[in-house]
Amino acid sequence: MRSDSGLSVGQRFRQLRETRFGAFVPVMLALIAIWIYFGIAEPAFLSPRNFYFLFMQSAVVGTLAVGITLVLLLGDIDLSAAATAGVCAAVLAVLIVMGIPGPLACLAAMLTGIILGFVQGWLVAYVGIPSFVVTLAGLLGFQGLMLKILGAQGAVNMRDPFVRSLTTVSLPPMLGWAVAIVCIVVFAVVVLRRQSQRRQRGVELESALALWGQIGFFALILLAVVMTLNSYKGVPLLVILLVGLTALLGWITTSTPFGRSLYAVGGNAESARRVGMNVNYIRIAAFAIVGLMAAVAGILGASRYASVSFNAFAGGPLLLEAIGAAVIGGTSLFGGRGSVWNAILGALVIGSLGNGLDLSGASAADKLMFSGAILLLAVAIDALSRAGSTQQR
Amino acid sequence: MSSTAAVVGHQSPPAHLQVTGIGKSFGGVEALREVDFEVARGEVMALVGDNGAGKSTLMKVLAGAIAADQGSFRMDGEPVSVATPLDATALGIQIVYQDLALCENLDVSANLSLGAEPLKPGWTFLPRFLRPIDEIEMEVKAKAAIDRLQVRTLRSVRAKVGGLSGGQRQAIAIARAVGAESSVVLLDEPTAALGVAQTRQVLDVVKRLRDTGHAVVYISHNLRDIFEVADRICVLRHGANVATWRTSDTTPDEIVVAMTRGLEEGSDDAI
Repeated sequence: MRSDSGLSVGQRFRQLRETRFGAFVPVMLALIAIWIYFGIAEPAFLSPRNFYFLFMQSAVVGTLAVGITLVLLLGDIDLSAAATAGVCAAVLAVLIVMGIPGPLACLAAMLTGIILGFVQGWLVAYVGIPSFVVTLAGLLGFQGLMLKILGAQGAVNMRDPFVRSLTTVSLPPMLGWAVAIVCIVVFAVVVLRRQSQRRQRGVELESALALWGQIGFFALILLAVVMTLNSYKGVPLLVILLVGLTALLGWITTSTPFGRSLYAVGGNAESARRVGMNVNYIRIAAFAIVGLMAAVAGILGASRYASVSFNAFAGGPLLLEAIGAAVIGGTSLFGGRGSVWNAILGALVIGSLGNGLDLSGASAADKLMFSGAILLLAVAIDALSRAGSTQQR
Repeated sequence: MSSTAAVVGHQSPPAHLQVTGIGKSFGGVEALREVDFEVARGEVMALVGDNGAGKSTLMKVLAGAIAADQGSFRMDGEPVSVATPLDATALGIQIVYQDLALCENLDVSANLSLGAEPLKPGWTFLPRFLRPIDEIEMEVKAKAAIDRLQVRTLRSVRAKVGGLSGGQRQAIAIARAVGAESSVVLLDEPTAALGVAQTRQVLDVVKRLRDTGHAVVYISHNLRDIFEVADRICVLRHGANVATWRTSDTTPDEIVVAMTRGLEEGSDDAI
């Protein structure tokens, strides 16, 4: 072991980014900076009510971004995610109009998403078409498919109580606190148990500061979020759903052989192939999961807007915001680096920008230019940190 | 060119892996003709030859990456068949390619267990690829593998491979090959892109492999490295054996001549 003293600030920052939670730091700082700026410029921005809507607004983009992160990890891209969400939402709406119960219609929409993702993944893996082209074709084709399913008006209202409840129900304050405390206790137990197992087996330990820092940080954020939301309407069910799904995908990507293979293929596909991973299966599975997450986003979108319309899903904004969210969160477009949790933070950054600019009365033109600049900045940081890590050789 | 002298001789240690009469053609080009090759446990066998001599083809045949057209394989005297990489792995033959094939975005321990991650017990209701990885077990194994090879400069098995030096990467690629219960390790130009200090580190690892009873096949262009680590040197030329020498009985000049012109009359040092 060598001592770490005498490292430059840049190296320390890079080391920080390499740690398990370090990748959060840049996007977290960006988010805080944005909140402070808008908090000073528009005091209404920091009100509990605004935060509540901010979370709700970011949920659809966040769900898509979490899904897209999986294909970005492989070094692929999915341009059709928003259109897939649209098709799934349309399927949901039409089925409900036909009288199918809400939960069943949701399952059908999710199945649709999986199938669309699977087909695209198969085209990428076995036919060998670059994912950019396959999903660009998907973007166009699925928008057409959505129009066809929705019929002439291009919009269907969503009145099903089950689907609507996904985004209208909030937990009672006490339940919100209870959920938060259970989460904190479980997190602390998991972290502390891992540390004691590490001590037993004699492998490198986390420093005490990092250990308690993690737990304290997690508890602080969770309690702050619950407190803020409780002082308006309570924690929305939507937030719980999204965090739950992200936690599940986060666990799969970081702690299972399947997740490890996603990173391996993104890092060095040849290496993955040589150790016996089936790269084609992995690609198809990743695209199918994106399809599933797109379907969930479609359902949430339909629920939130109380309708399924062509304009809500088609075109650029939703897709670009979702890819932007994933990239702003620090997921590399070059594959192999990133995390689904960061996609949620990225979605909050994009959501906060949109929300804050709306509040301060900025025009649509300003918003677009701002979002473009933020995206460019995020990709520049990605490219620079990549260059940095290769120079170290 | 004498062919009798080319056959591996009576003074050599008992072979662990032995191939005889290997032939391989790509279309009309005969890449290997009646090649014999062997390597014993606890020895470093260097495989040298000019470009196009068939070194890499022979290496790939040994690793099962290319199936030979003719020839037979023996492990410890028993006939075996190696037609695919899986056959070779099952027999304990591991190859470290020149490009290493490491995932730079993953840490050392993840790279060492890649494709065979240890899983936590239980969780049998999930399919294998969705069960939780036992990270601690993975680190313990990685540490053991690194310690066996005595890679002293490596700070932590949790360091990302992207931040390591070329020598450390080579050592990790070798550790990955060794970790998989292997008895034969094939190294393809392991020092080609390395500086002096890095080369030293890799050569030390190769010596450690020999000391731990592995059979090491070492391809290189660098005769200085070969004379430092190899016990025997097998020279190929135009896809056929020239001869095999004991390193202590030969000189770099003799090897260069053998590589470029074949065996000269009067050279009786070959085993």
